[in-house]
Amino acid sequence: MNLFIAISIGLREISAHKFRTALSMLGIVLGVSSLVATMALTGGIEEGSRKFMQQMGGLESVSVVNREPSNSDFDFANLSPGRTLLDAEAIRRSANFISHVSPEISFSTAVATDGGGNPERYSIRGIYPDHFVIGMHQLAAGRYLTPLDIERGTRCAVVGDSVARYLWPNTTPEKAIGNTILIDSRPFTVVGILSLYEMESHARARKSGKSFSRRWDPFRQKNETVLIPFTTMFYEFRSGAFPLDSLQTIKLETLTIRVGDLDFFRPALDQVRSILNITHRGVDDFDLETRQDWFDRMEGSVRATRLSGALISAISLLVGGIGIMNIMLASISERVREIGIRLAVGARQRDIFWQILIESILVSFLGSLLGIFASLGLIEILKAISPTENVPVLSADAILLAVGFALFAGLFSGLYPAAKASNIDPITALRYE
Amino acid sequence: MSLIHLEGLSKVYRVGDQEIQALSDINLRIEEGEFLSIIGSSGSGKSTLMHLLGCLDTPTSGRMEICGKNLAKATADELARVRNREIGFVFQSFNLLPKLDVISNIALPLIYAGVPHAQRLARAKQAAVDVGLGDRLANRPPQLSGGQCQRVAIARALVNNPRILFADEPTGNLDSTTGRIILEIFDSLHAAGKTVVLVTHDPSIAARSRRIIEIQDGSITREYAP
Repeated sequence: MNLFIAISIGLREISAHKFRTALSMLGIVLGVSSLVATMALTGGIEEGSRKFMQQMGGLESVSVVNREPSNSDFDFANLSPGRTLLDAEAIRRSANFISHVSPEISFSTAVATDGGGNPERYSIRGIYPDHFVIGMHQLAAGRYLTPLDIERGTRCAVVGDSVARYLWPNTTPEKAIGNTILIDSRPFTVVGILSLYEMESHARARKSGKSFSRRWDPFRQKNETVLIPFTTMFYEFRSGAFPLDSLQTIKLETLTIRVGDLDFFRPALDQVRSILNITHRGVDDFDLETRQDWFDRMEGSVRATRLSGALISAISLLVGGIGIMNIMLASISERVREIGIRLAVGARQRDIFWQILIESILVSFLGSLLGIFASLGLIEILKAISPTENVPVLSADAILLAVGFALFAGLFSGLYPAAKASNIDPITALRYE
Repeated sequence: MSLIHLEGLSKVYRVGDQEIQALSDINLRIEEGEFLSIIGSSGSGKSTLMHLLGCLDTPTSGRMEICGKNLAKATADELARVRNREIGFVFQSFNLLPKLDVISNIALPLIYAGVPHAQRLARAKQAAVDVGLGDRLANRPPQLSGGQCQRVAIARALVNNPRILFADEPTGNLDSTTGRIILEIFDSLHAAGKTVVLVTHDPSIAARSRRIIEIQDGSITREYAP
């Protein structure tokens, strides 16, 4: 007896008991759908954060962050000037494994055009030209800020796509270059407009004209940025604050560096650490946060989510398998006479065994198909209510994995009924009413 | 060489701790082309004998040669093969699969013989035509009369062209007219050279065969020609 016949017999048997079979499939449906949905969800989170990380500078970027000094350093903590331009300058000069250094100070205020319009609050950031490299910026039009802008403290600004779009909705980036914007009432000339940064899924949604406004966008901050020269920021907006700072002593909001060659990642960090130890006068009040740390943390939480999803599916598949076994046992006790007839006309025990086993695998296979459809619905529901803002990614891997597990559950739960059916004595079976 | 050769055959059933001697010391030869009846009252052991001859069961002791093969200690697979290739069964209660149509029922043995699909259909169709059911191929057994059902069963028994045809009370569920038509089919099969073994309790049916074996309490008590 070949596989094709066994499958067609199985399908006929299933279609003769649609409702019963559907009920017995429920566990498999649940298991497969939850597995696929979980994988899609975590895949979306992973995908989103990987894109985000790449756009935020990739593995080469390292943030210098503040840290509470340890108790033994507590008395000396005030000796440290904290993160200042001095750090940036020292790293730029002395750390040869570091290719770019981007110190930043920022200031949150309203921006308006000189032509009127509603002012919108944006975070204004004072930067050095290295910021464009580390932040992986691209221009839609105009130019970047240059060292000359830093030196002269020019009133030039490079703005993100969303800003330009908001302030000048009816014009192209090229035409918006040279326009004036008012930052806290001071006029700045827009010299550059950055490209629109978006996730691939957003780009697709935008092209197909679908609404995607509800989706969280990891690039929102990048798109809404207003960048001006560091020095301009200091002199225009920050020099008057108390306590009085000089350009050299003002505390940086962020300090990001870029390692020139990933092969020398650790030595590069060691260099930076020893330089900062000097500029911070030996006070251990800083930390180097790599994207890898950040990625590992995220990866860990994804793994935990995935594991709990897998656990739920495993339990569902187990229950589903038991359901199938139950239905197969009921089915063979109904079909004792049929099995007897098949044996009498020459079916071997293994023919009966395979027939029952394949039927059981078929039930789980159909269940897993339903499960995949259900997972599509489940993903839609999760999209609507989930706390995570990443678009779930339905992967072929996840589907194959889930179907594989389901088939295994079907195979496993079919073994016992199949063995039982194939051991039926033909004489008893033929007499069976 | 005989088609079937039984020597000192016995069968003991064990029910709980009781042993029931269903057959004891059966010696029997059946030649190719014979038309033979096994007759006996209910409980005489004739069904047990037919199950052994039909390779549905194995004897407790003795020799059992069918088509030249000693099957007394055969495995389940060997028995299945003999049932499939050498033996056709016709039962009192037809034993058709109610969910399958006539042609699929007839083709059932061919599935287990590994015959390809197209050939299976052609042979099953021919077998149906041979028993006069060429116009009922798509019907299912519940839609057929008893006589038609039994003809489907005969077609199924013959589709693999076996050497021996066993019929266990083939007219038991039929009225006398239909029964006579079925028995005429057996007559013509015998005339065409097939070995036919009829199991019955009715002497008038057994009288149609050429040789009658009478069984009582598990032993052959009499053997005669009608």
